[in-house]
Amino acid sequence: MSEVLKVDGVSRRFGGLLAVNNVSFAIEPGQIVGLLGPNGSGKTTMLNMISGALKVSGGQIAFQDQLVTGLPAHKIAKRGVARTFQLVRSLPSLTLTENVLISAAYGRERLWGAAALDKVAENLALVGLEGRGDEPVADLTYIDLKRMELARAMVADPKLLLLDEWLAGLNPAELQIGVDLIRRLQQRGITILLVEHIMDAVRATCARCIVMSAGAVIADGPTDQALADPEVIRAYLGDDDA
Amino acid sequence: MKPFLFGLLVIGLLAWAPLVLNDYGTGLLLGLTGYATLATAWAMFSGPTRYVSLATVAFFGIGAYTVAVLSETLPYPLVLVVAALIGLSVSLVVGLATLRLAGVYFVIFSFGLAELVRQTVTWYEVNVTGTLGRYIFLPLEARHIYWQLLALLVLTLLIGIYMRKSRIWLALVAVGDDEVAARHAGVDVTRTKLALFALSATIITLVGAIQAPRWTYVEPTIVFNPTISFLTLVMALLGGAGKLWGPIVGAIPLFLLFEWLSANFPNHYSIILGGIFILIVFAVPNGILARLETLGQRRKGEAQ
Ligand SMILES: Nc1ncnc2c1ncn2[C@@H]1O[C@H](COP(=O)(O)OP(=O)(O)OP(=O)(O)O)[C@@H](O)[C@H]1O
Ligand SMILES: [Mg+2]
Repeated sequence: MSEVLKVDGVSRRFGGLLAVNNVSFAIEPGQIVGLLGPNGSGKTTMLNMISGALKVSGGQIAFQDQLVTGLPAHKIAKRGVARTFQLVRSLPSLTLTENVLISAAYGRERLWGAAALDKVAENLALVGLEGRGDEPVADLTYIDLKRMELARAMVADPKLLLLDEWLAGLNPAELQIGVDLIRRLQQRGITILLVEHIMDAVRATCARCIVMSAGAVIADGPTDQALADPEVIRAYLGDDDA
Repeated sequence: MKPFLFGLLVIGLLAWAPLVLNDYGTGLLLGLTGYATLATAWAMFSGPTRYVSLATVAFFGIGAYTVAVLSETLPYPLVLVVAALIGLSVSLVVGLATLRLAGVYFVIFSFGLAELVRQTVTWYEVNVTGTLGRYIFLPLEARHIYWQLLALLVLTLLIGIYMRKSRIWLALVAVGDDEVAARHAGVDVTRTKLALFALSATIITLVGAIQAPRWTYVEPTIVFNPTISFLTLVMALLGGAGKLWGPIVGAIPLFLLFEWLSANFPNHYSIILGGIFILIVFAVPNGILARLETLGQRRKGEAQ
């Protein structure tokens, strides 16, 4: 297999706003790629289109050499694309285990019963929530909710993991744990596309970065090179609240 | 094994009851079983997903009217099958069209649907068939109707028990909590909602069909009475729509109260009932069962 993900001339329009403008890139298996850019540059919109939450206004998206453009989110999830959300989305009526179990039950392998519960426990342990499965998710702290989301994404054994500012809001110690965790996922052979504003975390995890500004890709290459690109520096400096 | 034997014993007692009860008692039990089934079926879909439906009487009425129209032309069991199929088809069409609606829009639509069905049936009877009421002559006594309802209630509960052990329950609760999260976990949200809405609506249709012979005389204002929708909803909410036994726990006191009010205050009972509905929503928003559970936990906490 050549590329895990191939985005080809993809655009997305919201009324008069072109939030994503003719974006193309491809990701090789096993890579961790950073998707960077100032606020409002279209990163989340890009992830939403890859995961099927939003339809593209133009262009094509292929996952493992098959077109997925226009497929509903649950079908894309079943093919092996998992994601977390910029604003955590939990299922507050359910326990921690159940929040993760749903993704095992409806994911690629459709696990249920003891096999599914084992898998859930394994992934709760992976993110540092070992033995806490019976806790109601409504009682969890912010960082634990973020961990839950990662476990929910990982339990389906995804081929491609989309992380939308998963490290945001963590304190320095938690950040280090998060970075280590992402690196460990890579060792499992998972391809990761990661939206992130924390540059130290990007440098520590991504060999390659794609930088967007105002909906378009302005740089794409090895992390150091991409971050040193004059146009990237200009885009970030022009963004006062960054 | 114990709950199974206990269940059989209770079902046996309930089935035996009309043999010793007088007509009034049997009628009461019949009405209660009808509402218990309605509320349980309603909660099957609306409990976990929190899609509040006021369409109950649309399906209930469709069931009853199908029996009124077909009871002379088809054998009775076949009439029930046809009624269920009509309820199923209508619910699939309606579900496809409306389950995208969120929150209050769905509530309003479901209420409108019941009115639409009632008006359509009335129009059809007046302008096409030239009748406004219909007589149902079926050789069914109250206890026969009651036994059928009891069987349907048991079946509905069994489905509820099974559902809670299967992954579909997780999907339904997830739909109620956050549809987006459910979708990205792989749940086909549209299909899940549609399937459960249709299952619930089909059971509700059957309740209407089974109960129809009770009336002897049927007309749209009787079988499409919106009070049935409201009562079902409040019973489920009172007991707890998310719990298997919640709707039955809510149905018992409310049904008895409703009977008593309509016998003693025939002109004012709907106002009184409205007040009670409001009280329930304020006092036990999550239902009696959830309330008892929290009380129980608090007691345990104090003991430790
Ligand atoms: N559903 C929507 N409807 C209308 N406009 C939208 C919608 N989603 C995003 N936008 C707009 O599209 C642009 C890109 O938004 P997007 O969320 O993709 O940015 P982002 O790069 O993820 O920013 P941030 O770093 O702040 O998360 C913004 O101007 C935003 O206001
Ligand atoms: Mg974003």
